[in-house]
Parts: sequence; structure tokens; C-alpha cells
Amino acid sequence: MKAPIRLALALLAIGAALGMTVYSFNMLRGQVLDSIGILLEDSFLAAVSVYLLFFLTLLIVRYAVLILYSFLEHMESMFKRHKTPTLAERDDVSLPMITVVIPAYNEGPVIQPALRALLQLDYPNFEVLVVDDGSTDDTYAKASAIALESRHISIRVIHKKNAGKAEALNEGMAQARGEFVLNMDGDTKLSRNTLRACVRHFDDPQVGAVAGNVKILNRENLLTRMQALEYVEGLALSRKAQSFMRVINIIPGPLGMFRKSVLQQVGGYPNDTFAEDCDMTLNILLKDWHIIYEPTAIAWVETPSGLLDLLKQRYRWTRGILQTCRKHRVAAKAGAASATPVIIWYMLFEGIVWPISNVLGSAFFIFIALKYGIAILLFYWWLQLTALDLVAAAYCVILEEEEPSLILYSFGFRLFYIPILDVAKTFASIDEWRVSPMNWGKLKREGKL
Amino acid sequence: MDLISLLSTVLLVTTIGTLVVAIAAHLAFRLRDKRRPDRTALPRQDGGSLEPIFLERYSPAAAVVATAPAGP
Repeated sequence: MKAPIRLALALLAIGAALGMTVYSFNMLRGQVLDSIGILLEDSFLAAVSVYLLFFLTLLIVRYAVLILYSFLEHMESMFKRHKTPTLAERDDVSLPMITVVIPAYNEGPVIQPALRALLQLDYPNFEVLVVDDGSTDDTYAKASAIALESRHISIRVIHKKNAGKAEALNEGMAQARGEFVLNMDGDTKLSRNTLRACVRHFDDPQVGAVAGNVKILNRENLLTRMQALEYVEGLALSRKAQSFMRVINIIPGPLGMFRKSVLQQVGGYPNDTFAEDCDMTLNILLKDWHIIYEPTAIAWVETPSGLLDLLKQRYRWTRGILQTCRKHRVAAKAGAASATPVIIWYMLFEGIVWPISNVLGSAFFIFIALKYGIAILLFYWWLQLTALDLVAAAYCVILEEEEPSLILYSFGFRLFYIPILDVAKTFASIDEWRVSPMNWGKLKREGKL
Repeated sequence: MDLISLLSTVLLVTTIGTLVVAIAAHLAFRLRDKRRPDRTALPRQDGGSLEPIFLERYSPAAAVVATAPAGP
């Protein structure tokens, strides 16, 4: 769809949300003020109301800051492109070697499409290294078959005993021959420009790593489309804003490029948390390396299409991030490396405060509706959050040149998708606080690549 | 009942329903994740790895011999 139509649709959605908020408030101003009066009569209800108001203010500030910084980052990257030729635009012979590392555990259904996509990459000097992490399926055989097919690009397949993703990535780092290492997942397809788009950032000697843009490939049902919106609105927006400050908190597993020397300096991927990518990113930030987001380097991934698989994935992510925050809690104190405390507090807000406050908000307004018969406050609570989502979604869809139809999913996003994930995140936080045992929870690949 | 009140009621029912589904789905995920087959009693090969079960090699020749009807 053409850019002006996308823009018009986005503005229409924002206008509708804001218009509905103003209209409904004006229509029912008296009723709303009466309802608020009831809340203030009871000290407990008043306390919760004040907290939720504070939380809502925090959210508005969060969205405003993210949109502002991401816009500045967008402008800066646009101007940069018109400056002197970058590393990626020089003669092909002078381009540095890159090793693409794929840690693979039972990726049989997806490994061949992922490798075939790599063979199409537009870059003259790279090798591919598949680290088969003791798969019990035909991953090794399938990867070896593609390695034999490939004539111009070196594909090496290493088999090792199963020891987890972090160890597989570290094995890849040790065996890599390139000056730069691109780590990706076995269920990922990279866009053709990925290597050139990422490597140009290393012209800046302060840049230690580049985070790619993760997008969802299998947009086949409501759940996967909601995830597509979440990836665009939640993850890409945050990364773009963080990129302006060069402090990205998670270099995504599906696409991250590193100086090999930086990976070696931080000792590779730690294996004592369930969020090895987040953990390692914090280690890089602690050494004051800059991390940049490259929106045009796209990693297409297969995402869970069933609810329980999605919950399994998010449960692991939440606990992994909390484990990482706990591990780096010393760094969260003032006086540590400049950016790290802010990043850790930001992750704690997104990992714990936000989901628990959302669940608290819904439960509180349901209670008010059932006890006092005032359902209108729940409506306004939902409308405020949905308006925020709509604005952010429209902005991101324009910036990322995504499907405009994703904006319309914002209505269901706040109504169904986010509450379900927030409940799972709340349970995950409780389990992490109780230090309950957990396992990796490998997702079954569906082979949609 | 005006439009906003109607929407509020619909939203109330939907939110309650969503939270119930969320809790039920989480409990189902936990139950599914907790239940794992007991592999200790399974037959093992010499190297200690699990022997594949249900995957007896199929040999068509043997099957044909076994089921071939008697000649006239």
C-alpha cells in the first residue's frame, strides 16, 4: 500500500480514538465525576485509584519519550545516509569477513529454508556456521545437505553434545573466522541486505554490536497478527528509541551482529539465565560499548501460533529477564556504568510493574463495576490504554512501513491479547520470586519459513 | 441505555471473560509443562542413549512372505 494511504489510515485511527475519548467524556462528564467521587470515599479505593492514575501517567510519559527518541533516531539515520560512504558501500574486496552463526537444536523443519535464505545474502565475504546442539532430529543431516549444495559460500556444520543455546553460540564464536559475528536463530530468515546494513555501523569504533529488526512471518491467525503488532509497536519502537542513546537492552536472538573481539571481551554468552541474549547485552553495555538498532536488517521469524506455546515462550522470557536483572542488581545501583542502571530499572518496569499494574487495574475496575454498578470507569481505563496503543501502533506502522491493517488490531490487542500475556507474566514473576524450578521450554517448530 | 453504558457493560463481560481465559490457559500451560513421560524405565542401548520405540524397521519382503496366500 502507498505511503500516503498508510498515513491517512493511521491518522484516521488516531483521530477516531481521541475523538471517542473526548466525545464520551463530554457526554458523561457528570457521571464520571460522580464515579470518581465514590472512589475517593474509601481510603483503600482512593489509594488504588491514585496508584493507577500514577501508573497511567508513567505510561503516557513512556510512550511520549519512546516516540520522541525513535523519531530523533529516524531523522538521524536519514541524514547519516547522505554523508560519506560507509563500510558497506566501499569496494567489495575491502569488506571485512562476517561469520553467520546458527545455533540449532531440533530445527529440522526450518533449517533448510533458513540456510537457503542465507545463500541469497548480498555480501561478498561471509561464511555460515551451523552449530548442531545435539539435536535428536535430522537437523544435522538437513544442514549438511545444504552445505554440500553450496558452491560459493562456505557452510560449516558442527555437531556437539547438547549443552544449551548459550554454549552453542559460544562454540560458534570460538570457531568463527570472521572479524564480525552475526548470531541468528535456526527458525529465522534474514533479509537480503542484512549484512551490508549492519556492518556499516561498525565504522564507528565505539559501536560494539548491532541489533536487527525482528518481524513475524507466519501471520496466519488472530494470535500471530497480534504478535506482529506487538513486535512492531512494542519491540521495534523501544529499540529505535534506545538506539538514539546507543543503549539497546536486548540484542534479539534472531538477529544480532557483534565485533568478535567484543564477544570475547565479555566472555561470550552466559548460561546461568534463561535470557542469554539480554544477559550478554547487559555485559556489553557494562563495558560501555554502544549498541545500535538497524531497522532495515530484518529477521523474519516463525512465532507460536497456539496460545499455550505463546504462554510458554513469554513465561521463559519474563523469568529470564528477571533473572538477568537480579544477576546485574549491583549494576542497577547508582555509580555503575552510566546507562546500565536506567536500562535495568526500565526492564523491571516493563517486566514486573507494567503487567502487574494492568492486572490490578482490570481487577480493580471489575470490582468497582460489580460492587457499585459503575462499569463506565472500566470503559475509560480501556479507552485510555487503547488510545495510547493506537497512537503508538499508527506511528510505528508508518515508520516501519508495515501493514496498515495492524493498526486496527489495537482494539483487540488491549482487550484480549495483553491481559492474557499480563496474567502469564504476573505468574512468571511470582514463580521467579519463589525461585521455582523451570526448564528451557523449547517450542515445536511448524516449518512455516 | 446509552451507547457508552452499553459499551461499558460489553467491556466488563469481555474483560472478566478474558481474565478467566488467561488464568485457565496459564494453568493448562503449567499442567502440560509439568507432565513429562517417565523415561527411566525405557530400554537403553549400550551407549546409554534411549532406544527408539514404536520405530521397528519395516521390511516389505517379510510382510509379503508372511501374508502371501498359498498357491493352487
